Amino acid sequence: MSDAHDADGLSFQPSGSKESKKSACDEYAVTVLRYLDNDLEGRELEDFRSHLNSCANCQAQVGEEIALSKLLHRTRPLYSVPAQLRARISAATKQPSLSLFPTGWLYQLRLETLIGGWSHIRRQFLSLRVLAPAALVIALCLAFVPNMVRNVRAASYVEKAATDHRSYVDGSLPIGFQSSSPELVTTWLTGKVPFEFHLPRAESNPESKPVYRLTGASVVDYKGSPAALVMYETQNEKITLLVVSSKAAVIAGGDKVQFGNLTFHYHTDSGFRVITWHNHGLSYALVSSVSGPARESCMVCHQNMTDKGAFSTRR
Amino acid sequence: MSFGRETGQPQTRIEFNTYLDGLIGYAVVLSRNRAEAEDLVQETCLRALRSVGQLRPDGNIKSWLFTILRNIWLNQVRQRRTTPDMVDFDSEENDTAEPADTAQDPYEVYASKVEQEQIRAAIQHLPVEFREIIMLREYEELSYQEIASVLDCPPGTVMSRLARARSRLRELLPAGLMARPANEKETAKTSNETAA
Repeated sequence: MSDAHDADGLSFQPSGSKESKKSACDEYAVTVLRYLDNDLEGRELEDFRSHLNSCANCQAQVGEEIALSKLLHRTRPLYSVPAQLRARISAATKQPSLSLFPTGWLYQLRLETLIGGWSHIRRQFLSLRVLAPAALVIALCLAFVPNMVRNVRAASYVEKAATDHRSYVDGSLPIGFQSSSPELVTTWLTGKVPFEFHLPRAESNPESKPVYRLTGASVVDYKGSPAALVMYETQNEKITLLVVSSKAAVIAGGDKVQFGNLTFHYHTDSGFRVITWHNHGLSYALVSSVSGPARESCMVCHQNMTDKGAFSTRR
Repeated sequence: MSFGRETGQPQTRIEFNTYLDGLIGYAVVLSRNRAEAEDLVQETCLRALRSVGQLRPDGNIKSWLFTILRNIWLNQVRQRRTTPDMVDFDSEENDTAEPADTAQDPYEVYASKVEQEQIRAAIQHLPVEFREIIMLREYEELSYQEIASVLDCPPGTVMSRLARARSRLRELLPAGLMARPANEKETAKTSNETAA
């Protein structure tokens, strides 16, 4: 520990007469600290003690360092973590998906196969042989009514989004993870939903405040698979965004509006405005109580955002 | 602390409670923003949980957590391309000190609180290199070697930087603060008795 040279290039300008008097002993600044930490030994310790006995500046320096240490030590801890954050972290450590064990639907599938063994797989295969003709009949029927099925599936997604939104607004669906950080919410959802999902950081206009803010997320069930429910809020109301794989949810119906490459479908369900769209293999349903014409709804939140141009004109 | 100690076995569990106050303190001096500091601590814990298996059984969990937190902060600063500005985080609403000990003398509680606020303010006026080294050494009691590992610099740099940080901090502290004895009221009482 004798290599006490400064290698970080930080500037340090002693000021005032007090510092000037000490300048002769500046070279001992580190030695004083090491002396107080009992880090000096042998010849180094003897030399410093000898210097200390004859140097009033260094004696004063030792006294000041001791006083500063006492002062700092009696103010510990300087900051304490808020109880809410402590509780959240404690809860997070109890989440199975955050333990060392692999999780997710793939792990669950593997686990089921391992537990059920080959007999489980054979049973599934046999049941397929029985069900196959019936499925064929159903498939033929569905071929004649594709639009009807598509609309029913789309309506089911809208209805589910509205139901989850109501539960959240009523307080019966709690926030699974609270944070205003898109990165943290994305991290929390990783492994909990069977798809990759990255919440974008809202790029607000630097001259104005965003109208909405992220509050957190929960994991909800959608047709037997985990889905992400992301929560936002404006000054007056709560907004939710249900995200599922496009394989699980169909986007159709409603009042269609095109913005760039995306087609938004505006629905009304149970008094809520539900906007659905799909992009990059995921289906989205944004639920709020925002009223007004469909084309202007986006501007409610995006009015102060850098992407407002995308919503201000119909393309 | 309860994490794996078996030879050759990776760590499997972290009891964060022991480290949370230290982590929030470090996060506050780095970011100078209370909300950002809380997010930093939260993300540190999440990342630590995800990669706890990579930590050696004899690994130093405390320095490891501080290193994770610092790396997250550095990444955020790089992403923003700007150093965060000074934000007033020391208002009453952000005062997260432990609940007052009712058995303690109210005067002492008040004096300690004032003293703590003065130190917080002085530390926050230091450059970030000095702020973090004061926290790691004086409040977290990490060794020079551990600090060098967290800051990714030689131990010699840690020592010289600490010496300069302490010197600068003394300049920033209100005059007479260091001279205040631990039990000021007691001293005052003794002086009065002597005078009488």
